[in-house]
Amino acid sequence: MVLRRTVRAVAGLTLTVLAAGCALTGGPSDGGRTTLDFFQFKPEAIATFDRIIAGFERERPDIRVRQNHVPDAETALRTRLVRDDVPDVLALNGDGDFGELAKAGIFHDFADDPVVDTIDPGVLEIQQALGVRADGEVNGLPFAANANGMLYNRRLFAEHGVAVPTTWAELIAAARTLKAAGVTPFYFTLQEAWTAMPVFNAIAANTAPADFFDRLRADRTTFADGYAETGRRLRQLTELGQPDRFARDYAAGNQAFGRGEVAMYAQGSWTLPPIRDVGPDLDIGVFPIPADTPEATRLVSGVDVTITVGRQTDRRPEALAFARYLLRPEVVAAYAKEQSAVPTLRGSEPTDPVLREVLPWFRQGRVAGFVDHQVPLAVPLAPVTQQYLIDGDLARWLRTLDREWEKVARRR
Amino acid sequence: MAVRTAHPPDTVAARRPRRVRRRRRVPAAFYAMVLPAFLLFFVFHTVPVLQGVFYSFTNYAGYGEWDFVGLDNYAAMLLDDRIRASYLFTFRFAIVATILVNVLALAIALGLHARIRFRTTLRAVFFLPNVLAVLVVGYIFKYLFGTSLPALGESLGIDALSTSILADPELAWLGVVVLGVWQATAFAVILYLAGLQTIPGDLYEAAAIDGAGRWRQFRSITFPLIAAFFTINMVLSLKNFLMVFDHVVALTEGGPGTSTESVSMVIYRGGFQGGEFAYQTANAVAYFVVIVVVSVLQLRVLRRREVSL
Repeated sequence: MVLRRTVRAVAGLTLTVLAAGCALTGGPSDGGRTTLDFFQFKPEAIATFDRIIAGFERERPDIRVRQNHVPDAETALRTRLVRDDVPDVLALNGDGDFGELAKAGIFHDFADDPVVDTIDPGVLEIQQALGVRADGEVNGLPFAANANGMLYNRRLFAEHGVAVPTTWAELIAAARTLKAAGVTPFYFTLQEAWTAMPVFNAIAANTAPADFFDRLRADRTTFADGYAETGRRLRQLTELGQPDRFARDYAAGNQAFGRGEVAMYAQGSWTLPPIRDVGPDLDIGVFPIPADTPEATRLVSGVDVTITVGRQTDRRPEALAFARYLLRPEVVAAYAKEQSAVPTLRGSEPTDPVLREVLPWFRQGRVAGFVDHQVPLAVPLAPVTQQYLIDGDLARWLRTLDREWEKVARRR
Repeated sequence: MAVRTAHPPDTVAARRPRRVRRRRRVPAAFYAMVLPAFLLFFVFHTVPVLQGVFYSFTNYAGYGEWDFVGLDNYAAMLLDDRIRASYLFTFRFAIVATILVNVLALAIALGLHARIRFRTTLRAVFFLPNVLAVLVVGYIFKYLFGTSLPALGESLGIDALSTSILADPELAWLGVVVLGVWQATAFAVILYLAGLQTIPGDLYEAAAIDGAGRWRQFRSITFPLIAAFFTINMVLSLKNFLMVFDHVVALTEGGPGTSTESVSMVIYRGGFQGGEFAYQTANAVAYFVVIVVVSVLQLRVLRRREVSL
């Protein structure tokens, strides 16, 4: 009897402790105020979002927004999803990852929400192409867009009499001129595999067949058929970079370019804030990596930040209120200004002088999405490309991509 | 008949004095100590493991809907050359690192066991790497390999040193070995020191009288008598190195290319970043079995040559 009572007491106590532990991690309300869990992936924008949240909380004193940012946000989010723990409001990168989660039905459907009509149709289209749960659904609200091209140092260009290149041949010629004058034409940061992707995307948009991934998914083409030229040009460009390009990381690249040591830096508009931290007075320009002719050149742009709401959240009205607040014209504009982004609302324009330079491409609709967003994340595109840039074996790169694609397709 | 044969034990039990049965009972306090731990262990360890084994038979992506796929994940694993490459890297790394750690640790332990000056201080110094977090140290090593060593190589005019070994797919694994060995030696040293203290000093005296030199003493006395510690160190090192993860994250992130992707790295990347939760769970289950088998085999082989006084 004594034994049984003790066991029962101990078991009860343990369960109570467990339950209390669970309650502590999931307790969302304090004194009538609803607390929203706002998951945000962009470390550069923490302070900006803090200011936006303060503005929202002034307007809605009944809601508290807790900004949740972690390094390697995509992985962190997936580990939470495995536990069925979806944040209330999310700010995510509009990439292939977002598309896969949207298809799996993690996010709210905004299709009937009037806020959707305020968004630029072109930007919305790029995002919808990533994936939605079902046709006609809108699973995210584009909040900020980016431009992915070639950043350049105007002073160095002027000093060495180099004009902004409008064709691929001119770009290579410009790089050779700079190199002959003792200036590093390009800075690459290939210690981090992902930094090969912005260049890869920009070149692919102009060299690979436009319907390549549709045909690939239908099993009617291969990387070997469609991506050889992209690979050749990618390597040609990186070989004109500095010798220690495989031993330098993204932060080193931002510093080298920010200090005005190199002429060109193949990165997107998201890199502008960290570069300006280093070189506030640097005269930066930007141009799309050109195709063979100026007419064929297209600028690569994607959704840098998309706002969405967890489909199953218990705090939906509050979460939607915050999401709509974020999409207000003044909030979008303020964010775009601070983070050097392209605002996503109809008729809005970037205020950043660097981005105003690529405005014509946006206006004329000569914009392409990121091709790597079409590649499932299980295909290690970035490391395989990094490997190719080291060993220069084009045939092996194409073969590996084809094999990885096939393997992943077979497993799905 | 049957009824009759069934009876005797009962009657014996009934006749037995009550006191004896009471005394046989284990006091409740022991259960009170074991049960909470068991419950916590079961809830936070066993249940997730079983869940993982369960998911390895599905096509669960970590979110959304899923179906049973039977052994498909395990079959696909056998054909996956990325997984094969990661096994090759991990075993090569683990074997080299285990040997290096044990050779180094044994040498350092012998030195620290001798009557040298500042023995306590030196012991503390050698234990230091074990206290520091691998990730933090890893970033320091990354800087050493990526910036300091190449700068040194350049100023000395040594070509082989002037590029970062972490940027070379053929050599990057050596960088991981250096970090791994540096960090793991400390703990092995402690175990060997403990082992050396179990050997009575008169054995050496007797051996010295018989005319055995230092090397002979080591070979015939020291090493056989710390064999149990050698076994446990070898098994622990190999097991820890087979699960290498943070060393790789801090130094190379699996690169350049995919040349330093360890098995845990592939499981983490594919499972959480690649949306193939179930597939990589299958990989994890298979790898768990591999590690258990390797450890048991190792234990058996090494145990055979252990001796005791």
